[in-house]
Amino acid sequence: MTLKRMRFLKELFAFMGLGGRLRLEWISSAEAQKFVKVVSEFTEEIRALGPNPVGRYTCESGKKIGRRAACPTAPDPVLADTAPGPHTVPRAAAEGR
Amino acid sequence: MYKLVPSVCSYCGTGCGVLFKVLDGKLLGTLPLKTHPVNEGKLCIKGWNLHEFVNSPLRLKAPLIRINGRFAKVTWDRAIRYTAEKFREVMSQHGPDSVGFLASAKITNEDNYLIQKFARAVVGTNNVDHCARL
Amino acid sequence: MHEKVLNLLETGKVDIFLGYKMMAGHPLPHAFGRHNPVEVQEMILGPARYPLEKLAVEILAARPDLKIGILARDCNRRALNVLTVHQQVAPGQVQVLEVSCCPSPLQRHADCSSLEAKEFGAGKKEIGIDNNLTPDRLEAMEPTERFSRWMYEFQKCLKCYGCRDICPVCFCRECSLEHEDLIGTGDLPPEVPIFHLVRAVHMAGRCIDCGLCEDACPVDIPLRLLYRKVNELVADLFDYKTGLSLEQPPFSLLFDKTAQPAAAPHGA
Ligand code: SF4
Ligand code: SF4
Ligand code: SF4
Repeated sequence: MTLKRMRFLKELFAFMGLGGRLRLEWISSAEAQKFVKVVSEFTEEIRALGPNPVGRYTCESGKKIGRRAACPTAPDPVLADTAPGPHTVPRAAAEGR
Repeated sequence: MYKLVPSVCSYCGTGCGVLFKVLDGKLLGTLPLKTHPVNEGKLCIKGWNLHEFVNSPLRLKAPLIRINGRFAKVTWDRAIRYTAEKFREVMSQHGPDSVGFLASAKITNEDNYLIQKFARAVVGTNNVDHCARL
Repeated sequence: MHEKVLNLLETGKVDIFLGYKMMAGHPLPHAFGRHNPVEVQEMILGPARYPLEKLAVEILAARPDLKIGILARDCNRRALNVLTVHQQVAPGQVQVLEVSCCPSPLQRHADCSSLEAKEFGAGKKEIGIDNNLTPDRLEAMEPTERFSRWMYEFQKCLKCYGCRDICPVCFCRECSLEHEDLIGTGDLPPEVPIFHLVRAVHMAGRCIDCGLCEDACPVDIPLRLLYRKVNELVADLFDYKTGLSLEQPPFSLLFDKTAQPAAAPHGA
């Protein structure tokens, strides 16, 4: 069951565009080396993925921001997205929806 | 025994269509009116919870006047007379611009017109505002 | 159809029959009763859709002595199955009169509001997600783009809870979406994407893809698309076909056995 649940969550995250950030391993208390290996591997994988994009939607104070909420220090989350793609459009077009 | 009653949301000037669920004369809940031209089956959180104030024990059903520091239920006549007296008192001391009028989104255009006319022509102040401007 | 309803009412099989009727110029859900048999002739099928089974279960919670019948489209039928396996209503407690509405090459009924595909503006197509997309068409996009588009959609949320309130299978007395420690209260927009993902996860094994949530969303978040993916996953991974039969046990993602009392439905 746990395996299936994790696959469910993994695939749901992937659908959101947050794939690869969840991992399930069975490591017994006697398997210190496996623990080290898995954690280092996963750390590398996560590092390669870059910072969690959800963070872009969070103020320094930890308060989450939205398009309407005031958060002077953070850029507009949608429009500040620098990844190329049709979703990065000038402000005028975004607001003229 | 069970009825679904179409109505209009009483919270703001948008005037979304709602549908009240009524069981044995008691309001059970609110649904959006799907075919209403204003809201097309959508409501905000206030509209969705419109039924709550109707049955609330905190709901005011009569005007209250503070007498000796405590609120007392009075008739509408008495409340209006009391308010008018207080207004006159304030205005005679500080002039007509010491009072203001807040109109409502939930009354008709004609009533809103009357309120501003009353404020400008009778009382003599331009202090008129409206909740739809908030 | 009208005869069948009259028959149900007159033989005492049901006390109230929930169908639709034109009132004040709107097709509205209406409770037909035995006291007014003539009115039954005015019953119509659509085109508006309301969660009649949810209304029935609410009535039964307050008045377990009543017998209720509903006009059931396919989505109502599936929702009733889910409510039954989750013991919100006893099997057979709600009589159904099935009407066919879903399109097929053989019969194209146009009396279902969900059949009219809505048009969305160019702005939404540019940076958001078109509600008419299918999960695989969305999956063809790059993950970063998908994420940014989802976040654009989620951030519009007004936290009206309309998606939950209209949903026929949202019957919990305490809702995680209002839980202080889980999602936090009072902020707009709600904590994204947690708010919507929590609801998506809770819809696993419950959502019967009626689309009422998306209809009720004031900001057109493609909720149905999200829950469609959830349904796909539930079907693929757990081989669970939500709402298609009464034989399946209630589905729970968290527990191997659902933590439901084996007692009668609530209110009874
Ligand atoms: S539902 Fe909300 S937006 Fe609509 S009239 Fe009521 S308060 Fe206004
Ligand atoms: S489509 Fe929406 S309203 Fe319908 S069952 Fe699923 S979550 Fe609930
Ligand atoms: S219906 Fe839409 S706006 Fe309202 S809470 Fe649900 S997702 Fe948010």
